[in-house]
Amino acid sequence: MFFDRYYRWHAVASWTWDAQDETCGICRMAFDGCCPDCKLPGDDCPLIWGACNHSFHLHCILKWVNSQTPQAHCPMCRREWQFKA
Amino acid sequence: METMSSSISSSPFDQNLGLLDSIGEEGIDEIIQSWKGFCSSTASLLNGNGDLSVGSEFVAHVHSLCKYGLDSLAKDHFLCALEETFERNGSSNFWQHFDAYSHVSARELENNQIQVAGIEQVLCKSLEEISLEKHYQEKCLLMLAHALQSHQESVLEGRPDSNVERVYLFSKYQLMVSSVLMTTLPRHFPEILHWYFKEKLEELSKIMSGDSEDSDECQDRDEMDLDEKSKLLRRSGEMEIDACYQSKKFSENNKLVKNIGKVVSDLRSLGFTSMTEDAYASAIFLLLKAKVHDLAGDDYRNSVLESIKEWIHDVPLQFLNALLSYLGDLVAYDRPSSGLKSPFASHPTAHSPGIDTSSQGIIRWKLRLEYFAYETLQDLRIAKLFEIIVDYPDSSPAIEDLKQCLEYTGQHSKLVDSFISALRYRLLTAGASTNDILHQYVSTIKALRTIDPAGVFLEAVGEPIRDYLRRRKDTIKCIVTLLTDGSGGNTNGSGNPGDSLLEELNRDEENQENIGPDDDRNIDDKQAWSNTESWEPDPVEADPQKGSRNGRKVDILGMIVGIIGSKDQLVNEYRVMLAEKLLNRTDYDIDAEIRTLELLKIHFGESSMQKCEIMLNDLIDSKRTNTNIKATMKMSQTGTEQVETAVSLDILDATIISTNFWPPIQEEALIVPGEVDELLSDYAKRYSEIKTPRKLLWKKNLGMVKLELEFEDRAVQFTVSPVHAAIIMQFQDQNSWTAKNLAAAVGLSVDALSRRMNFWISKGIIAETQKPDSHELTFSLVDGMVDSGKSGIGGGHCEELLLGEEDGDRSVASVEDQLRKEMTVYEKFILGMLTNFGSMALERIHNTLKMFCVADPAYDKSLQQLQSFLSGLVSEEKLELRDGMYLLKNNLNEK
Ligand SMILES: [Zn+2]
Ligand SMILES: [Zn+2]
Ligand SMILES: [Zn+2]
Repeated sequence: MFFDRYYRWHAVASWTWDAQDETCGICRMAFDGCCPDCKLPGDDCPLIWGACNHSFHLHCILKWVNSQTPQAHCPMCRREWQFKA
Repeated sequence: METMSSSISSSPFDQNLGLLDSIGEEGIDEIIQSWKGFCSSTASLLNGNGDLSVGSEFVAHVHSLCKYGLDSLAKDHFLCALEETFERNGSSNFWQHFDAYSHVSARELENNQIQVAGIEQVLCKSLEEISLEKHYQEKCLLMLAHALQSHQESVLEGRPDSNVERVYLFSKYQLMVSSVLMTTLPRHFPEILHWYFKEKLEELSKIMSGDSEDSDECQDRDEMDLDEKSKLLRRSGEMEIDACYQSKKFSENNKLVKNIGKVVSDLRSLGFTSMTEDAYASAIFLLLKAKVHDLAGDDYRNSVLESIKEWIHDVPLQFLNALLSYLGDLVAYDRPSSGLKSPFASHPTAHSPGIDTSSQGIIRWKLRLEYFAYETLQDLRIAKLFEIIVDYPDSSPAIEDLKQCLEYTGQHSKLVDSFISALRYRLLTAGASTNDILHQYVSTIKALRTIDPAGVFLEAVGEPIRDYLRRRKDTIKCIVTLLTDGSGGNTNGSGNPGDSLLEELNRDEENQENIGPDDDRNIDDKQAWSNTESWEPDPVEADPQKGSRNGRKVDILGMIVGIIGSKDQLVNEYRVMLAEKLLNRTDYDIDAEIRTLELLKIHFGESSMQKCEIMLNDLIDSKRTNTNIKATMKMSQTGTEQVETAVSLDILDATIISTNFWPPIQEEALIVPGEVDELLSDYAKRYSEIKTPRKLLWKKNLGMVKLELEFEDRAVQFTVSPVHAAIIMQFQDQNSWTAKNLAAAVGLSVDALSRRMNFWISKGIIAETQKPDSHELTFSLVDGMVDSGKSGIGGGHCEELLLGEEDGDRSVASVEDQLRKEMTVYEKFILGMLTNFGSMALERIHNTLKMFCVADPAYDKSLQQLQSFLSGLVSEEKLELRDGMYLLKNNLNEK
């Protein structure tokens, strides 16, 4: 028997955010899910890291930052919130 | 003396005595002479065979007797003599004609046409004979009446009521004739009448149905017959056949109707009015029944109701109309003597011409016949309703007929009872597949909603099916397939082939929307859909009118969801099946699934379908990402050194899923071939570069591999799971493997390997051997031409498809598995409950769980889910189900 070099492999993978935590500290939803305002996970509801290295749903931290004037702090470590460069 | 006689002249008898007293010897002599003369002339009149020459003598004697007031004596004597003569010459002769048939049973009559023809002749002849005799006697009686009348006229100056005497005498006579005949009636006579009418009606029916070619000929012949008969009748007296009205159609069959009419009128004049009517009525109904059976048959694709009605109008009603018109005059003549009520006797106007002379009699007949036809057709259709529904929608004309019949008879309950028992007997059996039952259920709904738009009877009929389906394990799966899958299963011919039921329902709805003017319906529907979960059938007793007035229509999807109990379960099952389907794809083509999802969203709401939507979205994203990754990697490859690996990235595609929204995935460790593993790493690396900070986690056991095995003389294509592919690819460099080594090479247990190996063995690719001295299994490649007749490998090129489920390989955990996992928490609680209470019914267990398991985790399962979990415990022999009660299994053994 010879194997034809021709074969097609259709594989299955799952994606995950390469983050320290599994859930968003603001909305308590899984990172691999999405924030309460979104319907689709992944590209449509991305994560964002702060300078303190804590990560949140982008939509969640934006709402948080907007509500915390004049200066927002990281909901997890209370340090001044700065988006990671 | 005179004062005395006048004072006691209160009774005829006294009067006579008084007269006798007042007359002398001479008078007595005259009386004796007259009496003698009267008696002898009466005798010679009655026995004289039509010789009326003694008439004047007879009249003189009557006058003489009248003179002495002996008229009643004369009348009594005359009537007695008539009775004696009638018994002797009339009735006994009459019955003698039928002696030949006294031993013929009804069954023999039915089977022997010749004898029936004989009956007709005998009946006509004997009727003619006895009628002639009766006519002659009536003429004699008339003579007496005239004699009495002329005496009265001479005595009394004024005109007495000339008819009183005659009417009295004739009614006496008629009564005598009837009672003589009735008391001597042979038992089989009504049967003979019945068969006579049956025969004649069939003849008429045949003529009406068109084969009238030879009827013209015999009509001529019979016309002559008839003429002779009427001449005979005219000669003998008053019975004259007036030209009576004949319907257009029957006018050419005049003679047949006239002959029958003659028989009927003869029979009536003998006092057999109601017996005759019974006989032709039963013959008409018999014929009608046969006609309905004949027209209806087993053909459900044509409506027959109209042709039945037409036939009723054309044959029995025309016949009755002609008959009643014919009898009309005779009825009028016969009236004083016919004390019996018949539908036409009360209509002296029946002789007025015109087929549309809708006398009450004819209308009554029409209603009776139509009701009978409706009922007969209805019973016929109800008895075959199961087949009719199997044949639906081709059989919709039969359904439409049945609807009309039921509207007329109102016997819907007959339908319900009969159909339920047919279902129990023919459908709800172990041998029927769940798919077949579901298809019949859907067809039943579709068919019966025509008859019963509000779905009231449908509820009663559907309940046993739903009950039965709830006890089957594969019901939900079959329902989901039925709803969403247009490719398979839909062999019932309903709708377009390739349409899912959901598609069909949607199309129906759109069609209705185009027709229906009310805009509220949309909202109603949405309301209805959101209520599906709490959907409950209407009570059976509900008024069907009420439902339809509310605009509620039979909701097919609701009735299907009703089998399962809740739409969530249905959606959940769909999600699992969708996941299985998507993960076994070798492409990203999901157009059909997107369409289905859109339909499901319409019916079950968007939020219910959200996870499924994300799953489909994953496929769309995967396709895009897959193209993207491959394009960028090719670019980097051509840019740098030419990779020497034998396989290029072309052979790899990937589906990347958002795990959180998919049902639990079955993961299994698997070592894929090195070259594939390298490709996977490259792919994942590239993914994290593009999608940073996201990364890929391979589920190596999932997916599909298309491969081609080339032998010396043939090539075979397979589409298999990665596990199967990894196994067979190990044989590329090594023809034979021990089970242990191969298992290690692909990272499976020996058991798991052996299970998968069965597939390759069944295809004749791999052979299994066991060394005699050890227990070690060895798998070797079967090379060369082994045409062992095993399936799949013919000559040339063919493709084998292995679906995951075939040998227990599933990509996704089944709903049952998930449920079992979730329910295990409650198992201890349930066992504890049953230890305390002994035995409990399903509902009580359900309610107790709801009451006590309020947290960690709260009990939120449906009754059906609990039932399915408990039946799992029963099959594990932990519980037992007896008479609807669950109890502990070992509880029994202890006692
Ligand atoms: Zn969040
Ligand atoms: Zn979001
Ligand atoms: Zn922080």
